[in-house]
This record gives sequence, C-alpha cells and structure tokens, in this order.
Amino acid sequence: MVEVSLERVTKRFGRVVALDQVSLVFEDGKFTALLGPSGSGKTTLLYIIAGIYKPTSGRIYFGGEDVTDLPPNKRNVGLVFQNYALYPHMTVYDNIAFPLRLRKLPESKIDRKVREVAKMLRIEELLDRYPSQLSGGQQQRVALARALVKEPTVLLLDEPLSNLDALLRVSIRAELKRLQKDLGITTIYVTHDQAEALSMADTVVVIDRGRVQQVDTPQNIYNRPRNLFVATFIGSPPANVLYARLTEKNPSLACVEVNKARFCFEGERAARLSRLGGEEVVLAFRPERARLGTEPRSDMLSIPAEVYVVETLGRENVVTLVVGASMVKVVTPPSQVPRLGESYYVLVDPRDVMLFDPVTELNIDYIEA
Amino acid sequence: MRPRVNPALFFLLPALTLIAVFYVVPLALSIYIGFTPLRNWNIAGGYLSQVTLENYERLFHMVMYDPDIGKVVATTVVFTVVTLAVNVLGGLALALTMYLMDLSGRELSLGFRTLWMLPRMTPIAVYSLMWYYFFLPGEEGILNSIAMRLGLIDEPVNWGNDPDLLPYGAWAILVVVNGLVGVSFGMVVFYAALRSIPREQIVAARVDGASTLHLVLYILIPQLRWHITYVTVWQLLSLLTTYAHIFLLVEWGAVDEFWGSNWALYVFNKAFALGESDQGLAAAAATILVLIGAGLGVLALRLMGFGRMMAEPRGEV
Repeated sequence: MVEVSLERVTKRFGRVVALDQVSLVFEDGKFTALLGPSGSGKTTLLYIIAGIYKPTSGRIYFGGEDVTDLPPNKRNVGLVFQNYALYPHMTVYDNIAFPLRLRKLPESKIDRKVREVAKMLRIEELLDRYPSQLSGGQQQRVALARALVKEPTVLLLDEPLSNLDALLRVSIRAELKRLQKDLGITTIYVTHDQAEALSMADTVVVIDRGRVQQVDTPQNIYNRPRNLFVATFIGSPPANVLYARLTEKNPSLACVEVNKARFCFEGERAARLSRLGGEEVVLAFRPERARLGTEPRSDMLSIPAEVYVVETLGRENVVTLVVGASMVKVVTPPSQVPRLGESYYVLVDPRDVMLFDPVTELNIDYIEA
Repeated sequence: MRPRVNPALFFLLPALTLIAVFYVVPLALSIYIGFTPLRNWNIAGGYLSQVTLENYERLFHMVMYDPDIGKVVATTVVFTVVTLAVNVLGGLALALTMYLMDLSGRELSLGFRTLWMLPRMTPIAVYSLMWYYFFLPGEEGILNSIAMRLGLIDEPVNWGNDPDLLPYGAWAILVVVNGLVGVSFGMVVFYAALRSIPREQIVAARVDGASTLHLVLYILIPQLRWHITYVTVWQLLSLLTTYAHIFLLVEWGAVDEFWGSNWALYVFNKAFALGESDQGLAAAAATILVLIGAGLGVLALRLMGFGRMMAEPRGEV
C-alpha cells in the first residue's frame, strides 16, 4: 500500500493537451474518485499512473519511489476496465492465474491464490467457465479478481460499473466500497457518474479539459464547489446559474440585483463581493435548496419567475421556471404541483447561494484576499 | 394455409441457377469426360459415348513408371506444402509486425500493408514477367548481375533449369513467386482479426506483466486460431489448383518443364495445349485433384477443431 503522487504531469497527444500540469496526491489506503465528463482526461491520467502512457513531462511517485520511467509490469498495479477486458480464450481460472504465471510462481502457490481471491469475490463455482459464459456482473468480478490476485499496491478502476444494469450497479457499488475498506488498498476510481463518485469515494477529484478543478471530500464537492464548472457538473439536476448585477459594493454591505430582485449580503460575503473587479457576479444555487413562494421574503433571495415545465417524479417534482432570459430548476415536494404559466418567487436562503467571479469562474469563498 | 413450395426458393433461384450452370454442370461434365477417351476436342467423334476406366489406368501407370510425372507429383507436394507454410506463417508474422507497429501509437503500417498488397494488385503476366527477368539465366538477369557484382558467383546461373540445381532451383522460384502473392491474404485476414481485439486486453496484459513475446504467444495468437484455420484451408485449396504464374514461368522457360510444373498445370496442358490434347486424361487427373483437395480440406478442418468453432456456446452468454 502506497501513496501515489503526481507532480506537474502533462500529457500531449500531438497537438491535443490531454493533461495540463496535474499535481495530485492519492492518499495511502484511501478511495479516490476521478470524476469528469468524457474527454476530460481522467482515463489518460489513470493510464499514466498504470504506466501505459508516459507523461510528456512531470513525475509520478509511488510512496517515495519515482516510477515515471517504469513499465507497467514493474509498478504492481491492478487495473479493471469498463469492458472487463477478460481474455476470451482462457477460462476464468486461467484469466485470474495469468498475472501469476507471468511471474513464474509455482503452480501450487498460484492455485492457492486463485482460489483464495475467487472465494473472496464469490466466483468459485465459475472457475472453469469461459468469459462468454458469464453475465456482465460475473465478468466484472472476474476482472476484479484478476486485478487483486497480484496483491497490487494500487488498484485502478476505469469506469468498472458503467456496463452493468442500474440495479446491479448499485449493489456492486456498496460491495466494492466495503472490499476496498477491508483490503485497505489505495484505490483510484475513474467515473463520469457523480453518484458513484460521491457515494463511494473518500476524496473526489473533479477534472475537466485536462485540468484538476477541485480535490475535496464528497460533501465539500457538493456543497462548496470551487468553481462554476464543479457547481454545474455535480448534482442532478445541477446547480442553477444566474448572472446578477452588483449594485452596492461596500465591504460591510454588498447588494446584487437579478431579474428586478434585490438582495444584500453582509459580513464576510459582503467583504468578498466588494473585492470583485467588475459590476457582475454569478449566483448559483442547488434546485433542492430553493423553494417556491407566492410572496417575496426579506431574509431570502426572492426571484420572480414563471413556471415553464413541471416534471413529476413521484418522490418530488422538478419545476423549471423562466427568470428573465434564463431557466432555473427548483425541486418541490410532491404536494406542491405548480401549473404552467403561474408566477412564483424562487426563494433561496442566502447561506445556500454560491457566488462566483464571472471572469475566473472561481467561488468567491475560495478567493484569497 | 402454407404454400406447398417454400417461397424462399423463389429468391434463391437466380443464385442457384448461376451455381448450377457454372459449377455443378461443369463438375459433372468433367467427371463424366474423365471416363471417356475424348481427344483433341473431337466431340462429334463418338468418344463421348464410350465409358471406360482407361484414363485412370493410364494415370496410375504414369505416376508409377513415368519419371516426368513423378517429378510433377513431387513438385506439387513440395510446392503446395512449402508455399502454404510461407503464406500462413509469413502472413501471420507480417500481420503481427504491422499490428505491433500500430500499437506503438501512430498508424505506421498502412504503407507497409499497401506494399505487400502490390503483388496481388499487379496483373499476373506483368508480375510473372518481373520475376522472369529477375531469374533470367544470362548476365542480364537481375539476380545474376547482383550476385556477380557482389562476387558470389563468377558465371551467370540458370536458376530454374541448371541440372545441378534441380529440383531445388525450380522449386525455390515457384515458392518465391507464389508465396509473395499469397502472403498478403493471410496478412489482411490476421491483421483485421488483431485489430478487432479490444485494446483494453492488450493494456490488461501489459499491466499483468506481459512482455511483447508473451503478448503474442498467450493473448494474440490464441485468439487468431479460427482465422489461421480458415486461411490455411483456403490457401491449401487455392495452391492445389493454382497454375497461372507457373504456366507462364514454364512457358517462358524460367523453370524446368517437369520440376517446375504442378499437377494443376499438367491438367491444363493436357486439356488445352496446342497440338495433341487429351481431354479424357485431363478430366480424370482433375477429378483426382478435386478428391485430394476435398479430402485434405476436411482433414485440415478436423485437425484444427472446426466442429467446436461451429458448436453452440455453452451456458448463458
């Protein structure tokens, strides 16, 4: 078990910059999720850690050891893929035994290890089958067994659950998290599914266009996004974004105006808002942290809006409203079903309003004075 | 009510007609002519109505006692086996090389693959003519002039006819000329098959600790098993019946008439050569070739486990 750290890692494919000066530390024994949209560079990052790709520049360390120039077979990593990548011409047993046979371990030791890991993943009765005779979930267990049988120092998972059906995904999710905790193996998990990342990981790394956007706990990623990308990428539906005008910029009182609604911040927030360069600020809030009211409230941001679409989901309703030229979504309880065209006030507690610099897109809470 | 005639037959009819006219009828005619003493295309001469086993008896005697026919039989066996090995193993080696070149990142192999396709794209006569000049016996022959300049030989060599070099000289020429045409077929099939292996398997094997040799032996070649079977059987049958390049090489005198002829060419010459021709004997010889080809084909499929490939998969998929 080691700590994995990257130092200013850059990877270019021709003119495309897949990773741009990425510096990260994956803590020893922790479960870290790499979360990003497709094409963000997360799989490239994983392959660089595995040694499949060499970084264009930068260093990679396992523990204290510089592994940048080591080939994959010298790094002792386990890798699991979205499409399982089992060898179709080998039985489950031979698939799992393959890495051990390449290490030229004695056959008796191989047998013991294969049966041990098969028992742990409950695939003992499948050992003499071929991959084509297994279901997706079974194949993924075999792939996991093949990765774990080498007792790797780092376990790398590349969207391992994406090919499974929704129900299976949720049950394997829990199992995988438990397995990781039991083994205490440093695990890096690539996914584009925020539910997977937030539910399983100790630490989430949000990555976009080859750059790290935020490294934090799932709670902070959700509640305190570092920038506008993280705010709008995370959440289902994601955070609402509105451009507001700064009408008052005093360190003790800063006021914003959006769609004729005015609201003033005091204290720390006011001080931070007053330091912004321009006359604009970006407001963001989560759909489930807003309410719909018929009257404005003085202690809340109260934005007049008109109902555009109502989606009834049973447990809740997602209401889309028009605010000036923008749309916002608000989650309402099932009892509250607004009708199309009705006018409401979207009410948001100021503590749930996130503020971003329109130029740098940084959350003002993160801007150093 | 179900129609009495399967409607599928209606759609199959055009194709079935073509197959009947161009394959089944000629096959039946050939076999029949093999049992008649038809000569010099004298179809009106009444030969066609005399059914006899004479052709087969003659062939048997010729194979047993005629040294020239013995040479043709030996050439057929050696040429087919060696060229088959060159085609399959060479195609495999080329495909693996191209594939590993591509694995390194950029698609480097396109140019090389095109190069290897050239012999197949070149008209047979042009291609054979190039080799004719290459092996030309005089000083102006390309091989001779290169070898002489390098000081390997003092006098020009008659590669395909020199009695000291026979039969190996003639055989080598046949194998080189046909092998270079056939190798691209295996290469294309194997390369396409390799490309269809998911990249993740290669990455997985690398992470599992596989060297390039391990990768080739344990991951790539085992997955080409059925493709190797297919190419082997296909090339075996096509080599047994090929004669176009060989015909030209013999005709132009690049190789010895008998050490440079295979059975298929012998059949062709017997049936269609100018002057005396013996269609009955040729048809009988062709029938024997077809029987041998079919037998070897079935045997090869058996040995390589074709039955298991076609079997229903076990368990859930």
